[in-house]
Amino acid sequence: MSRKVQEPRGWSPYLAGALAGVLIVFSVWFTGKYVGASTTFVRAAGYIERAAVPERVGMMEYFLKEAPKIDWQFLFVIGIFFGSLIASTTSKSFRWQAVPTMWEQRFGPSRTKRAIAAFVGGAIAIFGARLADG
Amino acid sequence: MNELIYGLVTGIIFGFLFQKGRVLRYDKQIGALRLLDMTIVKFMFSTILVAMVGVYLLKDLGMAKLSIKPTILGSNIIGGLIFGIGWGILGYCPGTQLGALGEGRWDAVWGILGMLVGAALFAEAYPALKASVLTWGVYGKITIPEVLGINHWFVVAVFVAIGMLMFRWFEKKGL
Repeated sequence: MSRKVQEPRGWSPYLAGALAGVLIVFSVWFTGKYVGASTTFVRAAGYIERAAVPERVGMMEYFLKEAPKIDWQFLFVIGIFFGSLIASTTSKSFRWQAVPTMWEQRFGPSRTKRAIAAFVGGAIAIFGARLADG
Repeated sequence: MNELIYGLVTGIIFGFLFQKGRVLRYDKQIGALRLLDMTIVKFMFSTILVAMVGVYLLKDLGMAKLSIKPTILGSNIIGGLIFGIGWGILGYCPGTQLGALGEGRWDAVWGILGMLVGAALFAEAYPALKASVLTWGVYGKITIPEVLGINHWFVVAVFVAIGMLMFRWFEKKGL
């Protein structure tokens, strides 16, 4: 797809953000659930590790605290993928992109470079998020 | 089972709003960290202000309980700094990168894989962290109104006022 095709602008971030706030209020009201995402990566990592070394995962303190299971938050995180897919494909704003525009301007078009940085950045970010408990 | 369906539906609507608000992309996330484009801050603060008012209203009506994370200065501060470094490199958040993938930004796959590895490493490090960083400056489940000994609506009002001033400043500066 050509970059010259003007992408639709989307909604005001104030409006979309406020609606997300209303959604949180309803979620807390009806189900008592507060939103979050980072615990899901712990549970998913526990699942994968358990398939390889079940005895070890069964003894690890953090996996006892945050057991590998599919819970509300796990489905919430998966839902985010589908919600974005629906919103973007129905508004002509979906675009396959391996290297973000701003990244490319600074670090060049190498996919490998971007992949390595994203992987390392992701590992660091989740470690910090879990340490801060947020 | 019901709980899982609620989770999925809530996530779908969230992801929809994230995409419509244009907050998922690397350029928007890093644009905020570089103080060039405050789109994600506008989104987040709008969400926080609305949810803050609504949830405290529910609490006062006895219809909801707050979910308060414990304050541990050591792990909150150090964890926050580590998160910021990783976020600045990756350019996606733990939750939003699934949404970035949903709109075709597939470098998020590397971030997701990195996060699975990082979470596994955290689980390995947890016993050592629990004996050190997680014991530094433990204050338990405290809130700002409790600490200040004032009614929570004063604090909510101050946050709303700060948010409005910030929004006005963003619009004035064209951020």
